[in-house]
Amino acid sequence: MKKILIIEDDKFLRDLMEKKLLNSDYEVVTAEDGSSGLEMVVSESPDLVLLDILLPTMSGWEVLAKLTQSPKTENVPVVLLTNLGDQNDIERGLKLGVKDYIIKANFTPAEIVEKIKKCLGES
Amino acid sequence: MTKREKELDRIAKLLIRRDLELTAANERLEELDRVKSNFISVAAHQLRTPLSGIKWVLKMLIDGDAGELSEEQLKLVEDGFATSERMVTLINDFLDAARIDEGRFVYNKKEVEVRDLLESTMNNFLAVIEEKDLSLTYLLPKEGSTKVSADVSRLAIVFDNLIENAINYTPPGGKIVISIKTTRSRVKFCVKDSGLGIPQDQQSRIFTRFFRGSNVLKETQGTGLGLFISRNIVEAHGGEIGFTSENGEGAEFCFSLPKLKE
Repeated sequence: MKKILIIEDDKFLRDLMEKKLLNSDYEVVTAEDGSSGLEMVVSESPDLVLLDILLPTMSGWEVLAKLTQSPKTENVPVVLLTNLGDQNDIERGLKLGVKDYIIKANFTPAEIVEKIKKCLGES
Repeated sequence: MTKREKELDRIAKLLIRRDLELTAANERLEELDRVKSNFISVAAHQLRTPLSGIKWVLKMLIDGDAGELSEEQLKLVEDGFATSERMVTLINDFLDAARIDEGRFVYNKKEVEVRDLLESTMNNFLAVIEEKDLSLTYLLPKEGSTKVSADVSRLAIVFDNLIENAINYTPPGGKIVISIKTTRSRVKFCVKDSGLGIPQDQQSRIFTRFFRGSNVLKETQGTGLGLFISRNIVEAHGGEIGFTSENGEGAEFCFSLPKLKE
């Protein structure tokens, strides 16, 4: 069973995404801020990280930068899941090597799961 | 200095002062406009998060993530979900309009075959066209390129807006004709409907922000931003957009873009 780490500060969205992923047969771990999320990437070794950008303690951008700096974590696939949708944010994310950039409001949980499957090579 | 020279000098000074006052007033207005656009942008971003939650939970209920719903419950939740989708469109329109105002609307242009883009756009509308029992006719060039240089996702917004308007403003049983014409240097796309038309006195305001026709069908939803955004996108591609309409006899909206050489 593949393990997904959700780093999301909004409890409602985090709980919904967790439930959807559990229903789609994934193992799920969650973090509610950037720095604990970064620690969990190391301690939990997830197959994919679903990362918000506007987060307490450390932004998603900082988390991404730290991940790419360490050989242990540089290859962990990251999908940005955020409501920032400016073209420069999207380009910045893709330049940093994220697998996908998803604007939360424009997609449903089922569509997000499909995108995750694609990133994991499952569909 | 003669009396006449003195008078001229006085008028010149007055004019200079008025000019300065006008420049300052104009700068204040521009600043206010920036504040307003920035406010819309921030407010729209802030609205997206709670709205995402509402949309997600309703779709998960529909998808059976919390068990099966009764037929009646499903219908209510589906209506709620459709409303949340409309609100997402509305917020995205506000954000696009604010980005246009702030000059932050970015275009990544590539080679686009207009004919192909039309086909993929139409797939989103076939169900509603059938539901409203509208007759749909295509007049497309049999051969030759319809290639333009465009940002495909932005150009898709123009197609969406024009086709959606034609559908929304045409009563059930009406007609829609979609055409693509090419000349040596241009690709022209038109959508003609047999709807209510645009009253003469409103025609000059149709591409301005938040303008909505007074003869809107009751059930028609919209922000009044679609044509404003469309005009900006078309013009940013070196194109032109316009329409013809006799009140009560439908409307035809067309835009043309420079054609890429084959």
